[in-house]
Amino acid sequence: MNKRGTDKILSIYWFVVLTLIAGGIFAMVYVFYGPPYDVRGIESEIFAERIADCISRQGVISSEFFSGNKFNEDITSKFAEMCNFNFNVEKDYGEGEVQYFYKVEFYTVRDLVTPSFSFFGGNSNWESECFIKKENNKEYTRLAKCTEKRFYAVSGDRDQYLIKILSVIGKSEKNVKQ
Amino acid sequence: MMVENIVFIILNVLFLSILILFLIKQGSGAIVLEQAYSKQIAMIVDSASPVMEIKIDMEKGKKLAEDNGIDFGEAVIINGNAVTVKLSKKGGYTYSFFNDVKVSPRALKDSKGYTGMYLLTVTEKREVNNE
Repeated sequence: MNKRGTDKILSIYWFVVLTLIAGGIFAMVYVFYGPPYDVRGIESEIFAERIADCISRQGVISSEFFSGNKFNEDITSKFAEMCNFNFNVEKDYGEGEVQYFYKVEFYTVRDLVTPSFSFFGGNSNWESECFIKKENNKEYTRLAKCTEKRFYAVSGDRDQYLIKILSVIGKSEKNVKQ
Repeated sequence: MMVENIVFIILNVLFLSILILFLIKQGSGAIVLEQAYSKQIAMIVDSASPVMEIKIDMEKGKKLAEDNGIDFGEAVIINGNAVTVKLSKKGGYTYSFFNDVKVSPRALKDSKGYTGMYLLTVTEKREVNNE
């Protein structure tokens, strides 16, 4: 048997195996560390929580939402300031494009279909992305992340309301591989 | 034959060591850590309320900043509502938070130098403006 020839074939085979292993590990590392961390899901949940905290404390809706027996329409323009929200973002997202959106709807317990009062703020272009059916497809990862939260609270007059909050975070440039 | 086997084993060990070093370096590289820390801090600030003090363990970041000749005390910069983490001379990663509060970051020190912990002090913006 030609031992030297067998050794040569073995070493070539071994180098092929090593190259394959190294290539596999490089590919795995690239796939794992390459795309940015996507924190938009957590961010939209925190955003919804903050909105809920701002609307009601211990189940009672803030008096600023009412003007006499009616809802205070002025709250729409004051809400972001009242809740200490700042929608300025770093320059990476394009010319002054707001990356946040929120919508709040109040329903009376007698009518849970038509909201008795609603308002929204931020960039309304993001809202439609929440209603696109997202399958486990990579093309959908660039869409905004949305969180819907609903809870019951009472007004100062003890009227009961169902409050629905929709919070949306864009920021795909910094959370999804472009 | 004995020498060939030894060379073969040494080459294999060398190959494995390089792979392990590569994996460790990738996981604790400046780009990955800067992004992780800045997003983590932004999420913490978003959940925070005024008069809170939050401590963050940035031990890995401290080691990396020192290796790259960056003062750890200046690794975290909060400008308006954007947090920037810089652990290498060329790098730096910025992420914004929506909570409109004033946040003051400070690297904690003891007798030996920086501890690797960062203290974030959250205060109201209006409160600060009045001072």
